[in-house]
Amino acid sequence: MSSSLSALLSGTFYENGYDHRVEIIHQRDAGAHRRLESLDVALYDGNGALLATPAVDPGLEILDLGALVRGATDTRERVMVVLDARYDEAIFPYRPHHYAYFHRAGSTAAPLYYAVNATLGGVPDRVGATNINNFETYVFRQRPFAETYSLLLGCLARFVPVQAQVFAYYGSKRVARDVTLAPKCHAEIPLPAEDGGERLARVEVKALFRLLSYVVGRRAGTGDLVLFDHLFTYAK
Amino acid sequence: MTTGPRAGAREPEPGDEILLCYCTMVTLGELRAACRAGQWPLRGKENTGKLCTGCVGDLLYCLRQCGVDASL
Repeated sequence: MSSSLSALLSGTFYENGYDHRVEIIHQRDAGAHRRLESLDVALYDGNGALLATPAVDPGLEILDLGALVRGATDTRERVMVVLDARYDEAIFPYRPHHYAYFHRAGSTAAPLYYAVNATLGGVPDRVGATNINNFETYVFRQRPFAETYSLLLGCLARFVPVQAQVFAYYGSKRVARDVTLAPKCHAEIPLPAEDGGERLARVEVKALFRLLSYVVGRRAGTGDLVLFDHLFTYAK
Repeated sequence: MTTGPRAGAREPEPGDEILLCYCTMVTLGELRAACRAGQWPLRGKENTGKLCTGCVGDLLYCLRQCGVDASL
Protein backbone atom coordinates (compact mmCIF):
# COMPACT_ATOMS: atom_id res chain seq x y z
CA MET A 1 0.00 0.00 0.00
CA SER A 2 1.34 3.39 -0.91
CA SER A 3 2.05 5.65 2.01
CA SER A 4 0.52 8.54 0.06
CA LEU A 5 -2.90 6.96 0.19
CA SER A 6 -5.50 7.76 2.79
CA ALA A 7 -8.51 5.69 3.73
CA LEU A 8 -12.16 6.22 4.51
CA LEU A 9 -14.74 3.66 5.58
CA SER A 10 -18.29 4.96 5.15
CA GLY A 11 -21.61 3.25 5.32
CA THR A 12 -25.32 3.52 4.74
CA PHE A 13 -28.42 1.34 4.72
CA TYR A 14 -30.38 0.23 1.69
CA GLU A 15 -34.06 -0.62 2.05
CA ASN A 16 -35.97 -2.54 -0.57
CA GLY A 17 -38.10 -0.51 -2.97
CA TYR A 18 -36.04 2.65 -2.83
CA ASP A 19 -34.27 4.42 -5.62
CA HIS A 20 -31.08 5.13 -3.67
CA ARG A 21 -28.02 6.68 -5.26
CA VAL A 22 -24.67 7.64 -3.76
CA GLU A 23 -22.53 10.33 -5.27
CA ILE A 24 -19.12 8.70 -4.87
CA ILE A 25 -17.19 11.94 -5.37
CA HIS A 26 -18.97 15.13 -4.42
CA GLN A 27 -15.99 17.42 -5.01
CA ARG A 28 -15.68 16.55 -8.67
CA ASP A 29 -13.73 19.02 -10.79
CA ALA A 30 -14.49 19.91 -14.38
CA GLY A 31 -11.87 17.53 -15.70
CA ALA A 32 -13.05 14.74 -13.43
CA HIS A 33 -9.52 14.32 -12.13
CA ARG A 34 -10.83 13.75 -8.65
CA ARG A 35 -11.43 10.07 -8.34
CA LEU A 36 -10.84 7.43 -5.75
CA GLU A 37 -7.84 5.15 -6.04
CA SER A 38 -10.00 2.21 -5.10
CA LEU A 39 -13.45 1.47 -3.76
CA ASP A 40 -14.45 -1.84 -2.18
CA VAL A 41 -18.13 -2.31 -1.44
CA ALA A 42 -19.48 -4.91 0.97
CA LEU A 43 -23.11 -5.76 1.78
CA TYR A 44 -24.14 -7.17 5.18
CA ASP A 45 -27.41 -8.44 6.60
CA GLY A 46 -28.59 -7.53 10.08
CA ASN A 47 -26.83 -10.52 11.64
CA GLY A 48 -23.48 -9.42 10.25
CA ALA A 49 -23.36 -12.02 7.48
CA LEU A 50 -21.49 -10.90 4.39
CA LEU A 51 -23.98 -11.02 1.53
CA ALA A 52 -21.78 -9.88 -1.33
CA THR A 53 -18.80 -7.82 -2.36
CA PRO A 54 -19.88 -6.45 -5.74
CA ALA A 55 -17.19 -4.87 -7.87
CA VAL A 56 -17.52 -1.12 -8.32
CA ASP A 57 -15.52 1.12 -10.63
CA PRO A 58 -13.74 3.69 -8.39
CA GLY A 59 -14.11 6.22 -11.18
CA LEU A 60 -17.88 5.94 -11.04
CA GLU A 61 -19.66 9.22 -10.30
CA ILE A 62 -23.04 7.94 -9.12
CA LEU A 63 -23.52 4.52 -7.54
CA ASP A 64 -27.04 3.06 -7.89
CA LEU A 65 -27.45 1.16 -4.63
CA GLY A 66 -30.74 -0.41 -5.66
CA ALA A 67 -29.27 -1.96 -8.78
CA LEU A 68 -26.15 -2.95 -6.87
CA VAL A 69 -28.02 -4.72 -4.06
CA ARG A 70 -30.60 -6.33 -6.33
CA GLY A 71 -27.87 -7.56 -8.66
CA ALA A 72 -25.77 -9.02 -5.87
CA THR A 73 -28.28 -10.49 -3.43
CA ASP A 74 -31.79 -11.94 -3.21
CA THR A 75 -32.58 -10.35 0.10
CA ARG A 76 -35.48 -7.98 0.66
CA GLU A 77 -34.31 -7.12 4.16
CA ARG A 78 -32.39 -3.99 5.07
CA VAL A 79 -28.77 -4.16 3.91
CA MET A 80 -25.79 -2.34 5.39
CA VAL A 81 -23.66 -1.02 2.54
CA VAL A 82 -20.01 -0.41 3.48
CA LEU A 83 -17.85 1.76 1.21
CA ASP A 84 -14.11 1.22 1.76
CA ALA A 85 -12.27 3.92 -0.18
CA ARG A 86 -8.63 4.73 -0.77
CA TYR A 87 -7.76 8.18 -2.00
CA ASP A 88 -4.79 10.41 -2.65
CA GLU A 89 -4.46 13.12 -0.01
CA ALA A 90 -2.99 15.44 -2.64
CA ILE A 91 -6.33 15.28 -4.46
CA PHE A 92 -8.57 15.30 -1.38
CA PRO A 93 -6.75 17.32 1.31
CA TYR A 94 -9.40 16.43 3.88
CA ARG A 95 -11.37 13.50 2.52
CA PRO A 96 -13.74 12.66 -0.29
CA HIS A 97 -17.36 13.21 0.62
CA HIS A 98 -20.13 10.86 -0.39
CA TYR A 99 -23.59 12.39 -0.62
CA ALA A 100 -26.71 10.41 -1.34
CA TYR A 101 -30.32 10.64 -2.47
CA PHE A 102 -33.21 8.25 -2.09
CA HIS A 103 -36.90 8.03 -2.83
CA ARG A 104 -39.32 5.14 -2.63
CA ALA A 105 -41.03 4.38 -5.95
CA GLY A 106 -44.59 5.69 -5.94
CA SER A 107 -44.28 7.41 -2.59
CA THR A 108 -45.63 10.90 -2.07
CA ALA A 109 -42.92 11.50 0.51
CA ALA A 110 -40.27 13.95 -0.58
CA PRO A 111 -36.92 12.61 -1.78
CA LEU A 112 -34.25 12.79 0.91
CA TYR A 113 -30.67 13.93 0.48
CA TYR A 114 -28.05 13.14 3.10
CA ALA A 115 -24.34 12.93 3.81
CA VAL A 116 -23.10 9.35 3.97
CA ASN A 117 -21.77 8.59 7.44
CA ALA A 118 -17.98 8.40 7.65
CA THR A 119 -17.20 5.87 10.34
CA LEU A 120 -13.52 4.94 10.12
CA GLY A 121 -10.97 7.46 8.90
CA GLY A 122 -11.82 10.79 7.41
CA VAL A 123 -10.13 12.42 10.39
CA PRO A 124 -6.49 11.95 9.44
CA ASP A 125 -3.50 13.10 11.42
CA ARG A 126 -2.91 16.01 9.10
CA VAL A 127 -6.23 17.62 9.99
CA GLY A 128 -5.32 17.69 13.65
CA ALA A 129 -8.84 16.81 14.75
CA THR A 130 -9.15 16.60 18.50
CA ASN A 131 -12.89 16.36 19.17
CA ILE A 132 -14.17 12.94 20.08
CA ASN A 133 -16.84 11.77 17.71
CA ASN A 134 -18.22 8.68 19.40
CA PHE A 135 -20.70 10.71 21.49
CA GLU A 136 -23.40 11.94 19.16
CA THR A 137 -26.69 13.75 19.53
CA TYR A 138 -29.70 14.76 17.48
CA VAL A 139 -32.32 17.37 18.34
CA PHE A 140 -35.82 16.79 16.99
CA ARG A 141 -38.23 19.45 15.83
CA GLN A 142 -41.05 19.81 18.33
CA ARG A 143 -43.70 19.92 15.64
CA PRO A 144 -44.08 16.26 14.66
CA PHE A 145 -43.57 15.40 11.01
CA ALA A 146 -43.07 11.67 11.25
CA GLU A 147 -45.10 9.06 13.06
CA THR A 148 -42.27 6.85 14.18
CA TYR A 149 -38.64 7.58 14.91
CA SER A 150 -35.68 5.29 15.31
CA LEU A 151 -31.93 4.95 15.09
CA LEU A 152 -30.20 2.81 12.51
CA LEU A 153 -26.95 1.60 14.02
CA GLY A 154 -24.24 -0.53 12.41
CA CYS A 155 -21.03 -1.95 13.80
CA LEU A 156 -18.08 -1.67 11.41
CA ALA A 157 -15.59 -3.23 13.83
CA ARG A 158 -13.64 -6.26 12.63
CA PHE A 159 -13.02 -8.18 15.85
CA VAL A 160 -15.00 -6.97 18.83
CA PRO A 161 -18.61 -6.03 19.55
CA VAL A 162 -19.64 -2.47 20.27
CA GLN A 163 -21.53 -1.58 23.40
CA ALA A 164 -23.49 1.63 23.20
CA GLN A 165 -26.04 3.50 25.24
CA VAL A 166 -28.95 5.27 23.62
CA PHE A 167 -30.59 8.06 25.63
CA ALA A 168 -33.93 9.50 24.53
CA TYR A 169 -35.10 12.72 26.18
CA TYR A 170 -38.76 13.65 26.81
CA GLY A 171 -39.06 16.92 28.67
CA SER A 172 -37.04 16.38 31.85
CA LYS A 173 -37.21 12.58 31.54
CA ARG A 174 -34.40 10.47 30.13
CA VAL A 175 -35.00 6.95 28.84
CA ALA A 176 -31.86 4.82 28.52
CA ARG A 177 -31.31 1.71 26.47
CA ASP A 178 -28.19 -0.46 26.13
CA VAL A 179 -27.31 -1.76 22.68
CA THR A 180 -24.64 -4.32 21.81
CA LEU A 181 -23.76 -5.00 18.20
CA ALA A 182 -21.38 -7.72 17.06
CA PRO A 183 -19.02 -6.96 14.16
CA LYS A 184 -20.91 -6.03 10.98
CA CYS A 185 -24.31 -6.40 12.67
CA HIS A 186 -26.88 -3.66 12.36
CA ALA A 187 -30.20 -2.86 14.00
CA GLU A 188 -33.04 -0.38 14.06
CA ILE A 189 -33.62 0.97 17.56
CA PRO A 190 -37.16 2.37 18.01
CA LEU A 191 -37.52 5.79 19.63
CA PRO A 192 -41.09 6.30 20.85
CA ALA A 193 -42.35 9.69 19.67
CA GLU A 194 -43.89 10.42 23.08
CA ASP A 195 -43.41 9.42 26.69
CA GLY A 196 -45.72 10.59 29.48
CA GLY A 197 -47.29 13.19 27.22
CA GLU A 198 -43.92 14.71 26.33
CA ARG A 199 -42.60 14.63 22.80
CA LEU A 200 -39.26 13.14 21.88
CA ALA A 201 -36.88 16.10 22.07
CA ARG A 202 -33.39 14.67 21.71
CA VAL A 203 -31.46 11.43 21.36
CA GLU A 204 -27.87 10.68 22.27
CA VAL A 205 -25.67 7.76 21.30
CA LYS A 206 -22.67 7.08 23.51
CA ALA A 207 -20.35 4.29 22.44
CA LEU A 208 -16.84 3.22 23.32
CA PHE A 209 -15.99 3.72 19.69
CA ARG A 210 -17.72 5.12 16.69
CA LEU A 211 -20.73 3.41 15.13
CA LEU A 212 -22.38 3.84 11.78
CA SER A 213 -25.43 5.84 12.84
CA TYR A 214 -28.45 7.55 11.33
CA VAL A 215 -31.61 8.95 12.86
CA VAL A 216 -34.71 8.13 10.83
CA GLY A 217 -38.40 9.00 10.77
CA ARG A 218 -41.15 7.08 9.02
CA ARG A 219 -44.71 7.74 8.02
CA ALA A 220 -47.39 5.68 9.69
CA GLY A 221 -48.89 2.97 7.54
CA THR A 222 -46.47 3.03 4.64
CA GLY A 223 -43.29 3.25 6.68
CA ASP A 224 -41.89 5.62 4.06
CA LEU A 225 -38.76 7.34 5.24
CA VAL A 226 -39.26 11.07 5.81
CA LEU A 227 -36.12 11.62 7.89
CA PHE A 228 -32.67 10.09 7.36
CA ASP A 229 -29.86 12.10 8.84
CA HIS A 230 -26.56 11.71 10.64
CA LEU A 231 -26.23 12.66 14.28
CA PHE A 232 -23.92 15.41 15.44
CA THR A 233 -20.80 15.08 17.52
CA TYR A 234 -21.52 15.61 21.16
CA ALA A 235 -19.52 18.52 22.50
CA LYS A 236 -19.72 20.09 25.93
CA MET B 1 15.75 -14.76 -11.15
CA THR B 2 13.93 -15.88 -8.09
CA THR B 3 10.73 -14.30 -6.97
CA GLY B 4 8.76 -14.92 -3.84
CA PRO B 5 9.70 -14.72 -0.18
CA ARG B 6 13.37 -14.46 0.70
CA ALA B 7 14.85 -17.36 2.61
CA GLY B 8 13.90 -16.94 6.23
CA ALA B 9 11.33 -14.26 5.48
CA ARG B 10 8.09 -14.64 7.37
CA GLU B 11 4.96 -15.45 5.48
CA PRO B 12 2.29 -12.84 6.20
CA GLU B 13 -0.02 -13.91 8.98
CA PRO B 14 -3.66 -14.12 8.03
CA GLY B 15 -5.15 -10.68 8.28
CA ASP B 16 -1.81 -8.85 8.18
CA GLU B 17 -3.13 -6.75 5.33
CA ILE B 18 -6.19 -5.60 7.27
CA LEU B 19 -6.16 -1.83 7.69
CA LEU B 20 -6.61 -1.39 11.42
CA CYS B 21 -6.54 2.41 11.72
CA TYR B 22 -8.00 4.34 8.80
CA CYS B 23 -6.59 7.64 10.09
CA THR B 24 -2.93 6.68 10.56
CA MET B 25 -2.96 3.85 8.01
CA VAL B 26 -1.61 1.21 10.38
CA THR B 27 -2.20 -2.36 9.25
CA LEU B 28 -2.65 -5.32 11.52
CA GLY B 29 0.65 -6.70 10.24
CA GLU B 30 2.49 -3.50 11.16
CA LEU B 31 0.99 -3.59 14.63
CA ARG B 32 1.95 -7.22 15.13
CA ALA B 33 5.51 -6.58 13.94
CA ALA B 34 5.89 -3.53 16.15
CA CYS B 35 4.62 -5.41 19.17
CA ARG B 36 7.03 -8.29 18.50
CA ALA B 37 9.88 -5.78 18.33
CA GLY B 38 8.72 -3.93 21.43
CA GLN B 39 8.28 -0.79 19.35
CA TRP B 40 4.61 -0.03 19.83
CA PRO B 41 3.46 2.67 19.32
CA LEU B 42 5.35 3.19 16.10
CA ARG B 43 7.03 6.56 15.68
CA GLY B 44 4.66 8.91 13.87
CA LYS B 45 1.72 6.61 14.53
CA GLU B 46 1.10 7.58 18.14
CA ASN B 47 -2.40 8.80 17.31
CA THR B 48 -3.53 5.38 16.13
CA GLY B 49 -7.04 4.83 17.47
CA LYS B 50 -7.32 8.36 18.86
CA LEU B 51 -8.69 10.33 15.92
CA CYS B 52 -11.93 9.00 14.51
CA THR B 53 -12.09 6.44 17.37
CA GLY B 54 -13.76 3.92 15.08
CA CYS B 55 -10.98 1.36 15.52
CA VAL B 56 -10.38 1.70 19.26
CA GLY B 57 -12.06 -1.57 20.17
CA ASP B 58 -10.25 -3.49 17.45
CA LEU B 59 -6.95 -1.81 18.37
CA LEU B 60 -7.21 -2.75 22.05
CA TYR B 61 -8.21 -6.30 21.13
CA CYS B 62 -5.25 -6.71 18.76
CA LEU B 63 -2.77 -5.18 21.21
CA ARG B 64 -3.92 -7.57 23.93
CA GLN B 65 -3.65 -10.47 21.48
CA CYS B 66 -0.04 -9.36 20.96
CA GLY B 67 0.61 -9.36 24.68
CA VAL B 68 0.49 -5.59 25.18
CA ASP B 69 -1.35 -4.49 28.31
CA ALA B 70 -3.48 -1.87 26.59
CA SER B 71 -6.32 0.23 27.90
CA LEU B 72 -8.06 3.48 27.02
